[in-house]
Amino acid sequence: MARSEAHEPRAVQITQEDVRRLCEFLYRRTGLSFADSKRYFIDRRLAERITVTQSASFQAYFAILRSDAEHEIEHLVNAFTVNETYFYREEHQLRCMTSSLLDNVVRGKKAGQPIRIWSIPCSTGEEPYSIAIWLMENWSQVDSYNIEIVGSDIDTRALKAAADGVYGDRALMRLSRQVIDRYFQAVAADKYRIDPGLRNSIQFTRANLVDAQDLARYRDFDIVFCRNVLIYFDDASRRMAAENLYDCLRPGGYICLGHSETMSRISPLFHVCRFSDAIVYQRPETDHDGN
Amino acid sequence: MMEIEMVSTPRVRILVVDDSSLVRLYYRDALEKAGFEVEHAINGIEAMEKVLAQAFDLLIVDVNMPRMDGFSFLRALRRSAREVATIPALIITTEAGEQDIEDARAAGANFYLVKPVSEADLLRHAVVLTGAST
Repeated sequence: MARSEAHEPRAVQITQEDVRRLCEFLYRRTGLSFADSKRYFIDRRLAERITVTQSASFQAYFAILRSDAEHEIEHLVNAFTVNETYFYREEHQLRCMTSSLLDNVVRGKKAGQPIRIWSIPCSTGEEPYSIAIWLMENWSQVDSYNIEIVGSDIDTRALKAAADGVYGDRALMRLSRQVIDRYFQAVAADKYRIDPGLRNSIQFTRANLVDAQDLARYRDFDIVFCRNVLIYFDDASRRMAAENLYDCLRPGGYICLGHSETMSRISPLFHVCRFSDAIVYQRPETDHDGN
Repeated sequence: MMEIEMVSTPRVRILVVDDSSLVRLYYRDALEKAGFEVEHAINGIEAMEKVLAQAFDLLIVDVNMPRMDGFSFLRALRRSAREVATIPALIITTEAGEQDIEDARAAGANFYLVKPVSEADLLRHAVVLTGAST
């Protein structure tokens, strides 16, 4: 089959009711919820998956999805969570990390102990790599602690790209020439590969924010970057995600959200901390019940 | 004025031994920028393998590492009958006690720095201990 044909969605009829059923199913299984305004977005990706799976109808595709044959749920989620991002995005939060958050984090630690930082969702890796680069460039105590950076995402395709660590010009636009020369290697025209040492300093894993069981193995984080994902959730999933994140943090640990997001309306569990560079949320040192 | 590039001069080689990948990267970047050639090892065992297989002018060694710590590595190295026994070693560690410094000396360290170590400090000591010209 010619390449263009393989990617051309076939004219399978998708009704409003089909989309509703699909969304309900996805929500139950993954916590992802899509508003009606995203209908066009859903239709396109759904049509793509129907074509790829060679389903004759929506019903046939939905049967595949429900049985999760060939990990179809994962493929569909991957198709829905396409993200474009770049290095040093939300630089004020990185600055906040080195100018304020880490001072408080290390107060309770001995030199040499781990500092755990989590980027979830990490998409194609720009954020966790940015955190590592920022720390090496801007934090004078970077060698005094055992810094562990974990990048997690529900999208396994994004994770693979993160692990490959190859980026185009656009992703690097905010980095200085000096930083690019230090941490990247040009591999083709407009393509740069992240330094293998940097690549190996970050652990990439698949994780689902609304799955408490899945998140049970992520604990003791000092700082969590969780940007621009809660906006995809409805209230119930958002609360669930917030509670899960709370459990993943060490008491006194911080969570940084996207600039249009706020924890205050989601969950009362966190303290709001207003630093000069950013607003972040903190898991209190002691639980509400005094434990 | 004409610039003379000495491409054939063998570069001064340093082995950085630390279990934290970010720390290895941080030291390596600083040293490479100054013209040193840098290899790394994640613990004493890997360091010993590299030292026996390749030539180094300086070892920069962390203390607390899994499998084989920095002191054990240095002691084993200094006991070796081979030429590698005399490679200068700089201990860089978070432990700042008198006893730690004495242990480092006894293990065969030539110098001892306490983390955090600035780029400038690292380079100054690397230059002095290798006799490299800058």
